[in-house]
Amino acid sequence: MNVRRHAAIGSAVLTGAFLVAACGSTSTPTTSSPASTATGTPTAAAVQTGNPTSAVTLTEDGSSLLYPYLQKLQSGITAAYPNITLSAAAGGSGKGQTDAISGAVTMGGSDAYLSPGQVTANPGLLNVPIAVSAQAVNYNLAGISNLKLSGDVIAQMYEGTITTWNDSKIAALNPGVTLPATPIVPVRRVDSSGDTFIFTSFLSATNTTWANGPAFGTTVNWPSVSSELTANGNPAMVDTCHSTPGCIAYVGVSVESTALVDGLGEVELENASGAFVQPNETTINAAVTAGATNVPASLAQSLIYESGAQAYPIVNFEYLIIKSTQSSTDTALAIRTFLEWAISTTGGATSDNLSAVNFVPLPTNVLPKVNAAIAMITG
Amino acid sequence: MRGGIFWVLCGLALLIIIAPAVAVVVSVLVKAAPALRWSLLTNTTQDVQNPGLQNAILGTLAFAIGVLVIAGPVGILGGVYLAEFAPRRLGGTLRFFSEVLAGVPSIVVGFVIYVALVIGLKWGYSIMSGVVALSLIILPYIIKTTEVSFTQVPRSLREAAAALGLSKITTIRKVLLPPALPGIVSGLVIAIAISTGETAPLLFTANFSNFNPTPQLFQNPVGYLTYVTYYYIGLPSPHDQALASAAAGITILMILVLIFGGRLITARSRRMVARLDV
Amino acid sequence: MILVRRRAGGMTTGPARVERAARGDLTIGDRVLQWVSGIAATVPLAGLGLILSIMIVWAIPAIIYSGTTFFTSDKFFIGNLYSTVLTTHNGISAPHGAVYGALTFIIGTFFTSVIALILAVPISVGGVLMLSEWIPRRLEGPLSTFLELLAGIPSVVFGFWGLTVLGPLLSQHFYPVLSHLGAIIPFFKGPWAYNGQGMLTASLVLTLMIIPIIASTTRELVKRVPVLAREGALALGMSRYEMVRVVTIPYVRTGIIASALLGWGRALGETIAVLLIIGVAFNPPANIYGTTSTLASVIANQLDEALSDFTGMAVRAIAELGLLLLIISLLTNLAGRLIVRRISGEALPVGRGI
Repeated sequence: MNVRRHAAIGSAVLTGAFLVAACGSTSTPTTSSPASTATGTPTAAAVQTGNPTSAVTLTEDGSSLLYPYLQKLQSGITAAYPNITLSAAAGGSGKGQTDAISGAVTMGGSDAYLSPGQVTANPGLLNVPIAVSAQAVNYNLAGISNLKLSGDVIAQMYEGTITTWNDSKIAALNPGVTLPATPIVPVRRVDSSGDTFIFTSFLSATNTTWANGPAFGTTVNWPSVSSELTANGNPAMVDTCHSTPGCIAYVGVSVESTALVDGLGEVELENASGAFVQPNETTINAAVTAGATNVPASLAQSLIYESGAQAYPIVNFEYLIIKSTQSSTDTALAIRTFLEWAISTTGGATSDNLSAVNFVPLPTNVLPKVNAAIAMITG
Repeated sequence: MRGGIFWVLCGLALLIIIAPAVAVVVSVLVKAAPALRWSLLTNTTQDVQNPGLQNAILGTLAFAIGVLVIAGPVGILGGVYLAEFAPRRLGGTLRFFSEVLAGVPSIVVGFVIYVALVIGLKWGYSIMSGVVALSLIILPYIIKTTEVSFTQVPRSLREAAAALGLSKITTIRKVLLPPALPGIVSGLVIAIAISTGETAPLLFTANFSNFNPTPQLFQNPVGYLTYVTYYYIGLPSPHDQALASAAAGITILMILVLIFGGRLITARSRRMVARLDV
Repeated sequence: MILVRRRAGGMTTGPARVERAARGDLTIGDRVLQWVSGIAATVPLAGLGLILSIMIVWAIPAIIYSGTTFFTSDKFFIGNLYSTVLTTHNGISAPHGAVYGALTFIIGTFFTSVIALILAVPISVGGVLMLSEWIPRRLEGPLSTFLELLAGIPSVVFGFWGLTVLGPLLSQHFYPVLSHLGAIIPFFKGPWAYNGQGMLTASLVLTLMIIPIIASTTRELVKRVPVLAREGALALGMSRYEMVRVVTIPYVRTGIIASALLGWGRALGETIAVLLIIGVAFNPPANIYGTTSTLASVIANQLDEALSDFTGMAVRAIAELGLLLLIISLLTNLAGRLIVRRISGEALPVGRGI
């Protein structure tokens, strides 16, 4: 081997690399998006699905609340349609949204629908809900179970105006319970999180100071509370709360079982009708039934703080953010097939899969609009 | 008396330099040991039952080959220029800037490549973007070791070549390269060791993938070992912690092999050069 | 016969080079090689130029938007992405409430790197002196292997080790002892995280990471102390300690400053190890054990979030942070290299110390 050959090989490789670079950037063909779906509301059968002719891998990342559910769907989709493989990851709803927008993944998992700004900047994106989930509020106080709290009080904890567990406002909601003088340690997500989105939506709906201040979003201007801790992802929220007596944390229901096993208490939240409820199939269904009556075509709908005696106040649609124009017909077919399979109660949305993560299926009155959105995915 | 205390402190200092190096390597390997299984080599990280590291290991190897192919020739040629052709001042300036490049934080390099290549040239998260970022980082090491290898070749050999009227390129090829080669190779080995351990520049150029790398060089995220440690250590489940430990262990093993391999070659090269000197 | 040029002591020379032949003596092959390799040698310069220009261009909108609040505000918030209202400063619009203040990260970077330097310089110099004065030449090779090992351990492995081994160890055994100092200096009082995450742990790991560059540069400089001066001192009856104090240290003093600058440059740029250990908080640390962030760690941590900003301003703000980091790294590196160059023109350890 000599230097001259090095140079020749080197320059050939460099030239080759630059040539490849010029051709290497693939751009998705821009076809005009299909006309509005005002004409009729498609049923599942009307959406074209099937096993693609070549193997397609659907990549997903984002919401850590949705992630455990997608893990359950992975084996089922390939069993039903051998050419479709689902690869899922977590990383936070914000990452799911950005990766879907940039095309780094086929589908972005998000507990939050796209923001108005994102929709304006990226017109070809769809919010496709595939299930309904909820969020619990957990706390670490030894010996106290089923603590009752309202959104107003919780907002004040995260604002720093209520600092100890034996505060009068908490005691007023829990007559007869002896509360310790432990300092409150609020835990919040540090990543761009859909859980933060729905939690802050709840706080905004119940506390005007919060609504006018931090408001809601995947990232908000958290008030400075000296004892506050941060965590990256749902599992870390549970972990941090578990190691910190006096903590309060918001945790997606899909990891709630871990929280309960770890000995954390689950708050009974006050809903819009004044009742104190915990998240379970009944309460979540009550909320989504109330909230899903008037879902817009964009499917961006909040299910927070719905009225109803049994409605649980922190409920949300779990979205997959997907580009309506895909790079190939096979990919588009695979995505449509996966989505239809995932929302069907005989496909992915079986009671086994859903109850394992404490989700409930999409309400039937929303399905036509979801099918319309899925039908818009073409390649 | 004062001298005694001084040397005791210095001895302590030497200990602080030596001990942690061993402590880190040993404790990482000890933590990784229980997690090491054959399935790590056969399964990828997305395997639900039994996640492995196949995609990460292959990705790291792909990057090693990539930087060898891209940064290797450029670095070696650059070193040759500095050693053989460059006029004094120009050579000094170029060498200086090469050293300054080595001081640029790797996250900044990653960010720049993200803006310029991933987004700008639309290469996307890909092996190529990652390789370019890594190459910028390790290039100064290759240039430096190549230059040093050439300048350490004994004067007598050069004078003999000049006396024979050999052209410069023949001199380099036939006379200087053989004794310099072991040094050059050890420099390449060390450069690859560094690129194996880098994470920050790859975060936004290669992203990550749960699948094995494919020949698609653009618009195709790739996994790599250091990311597994970086990401999975933040997940509380014991399975994920074990995977992070295993990845850390394998990373450090690879680097140990590379460093000691590089050292062996350097030792061999010293003996060779000494033998050449008559 | 001409001996192989010795590295230790002796006169320094330029590269061994034969008399330059007249222009006409370069063949076509030579010319081609000269040009091709010349281009290759300018790649680092081109790379540096690319890095600087992209960082500057990308940061400009954020620079205009933030103005001086970049340096005065310790709040870094990319804004509420769900609000339909945008905040505008100096003609640039960003999401509602966006504030891009770097003060927290400047403080974090300063504290971690300076603590690491204060610890690493004496350790490196002391260790190198020990190596050069007392350790027999035979053992020098194997011992410097340890230095190379330290230099070769990846950042992420240091982070892993700091998080899983060192942090808990310090938190349980060392910090309780250190907190007694809190009676005099409140900054040392605590509390600290149960797993040791925080600024002090990060600084200690950073110390280990910059020892190699400081030690190897110092070692090269110590080797260049003239043998005659050293042996003369010993001949006069000085002890080894006195010789070091009177001859070696004054000779390498400027060099130590230079190597400290190089080590500082490396500490500034360390990303992953710091990110894993320092605890990712966006406020200045409450005490020496507190969680915070550095310029490098926040870039790695926040770029993902920044991408979700549809106005693109968050990425520009990250670019501004990166530009600041780049400038101070370059300045420390330039200063260090220039001083070293004045002392000796030879190739010295580069980057992380290999």
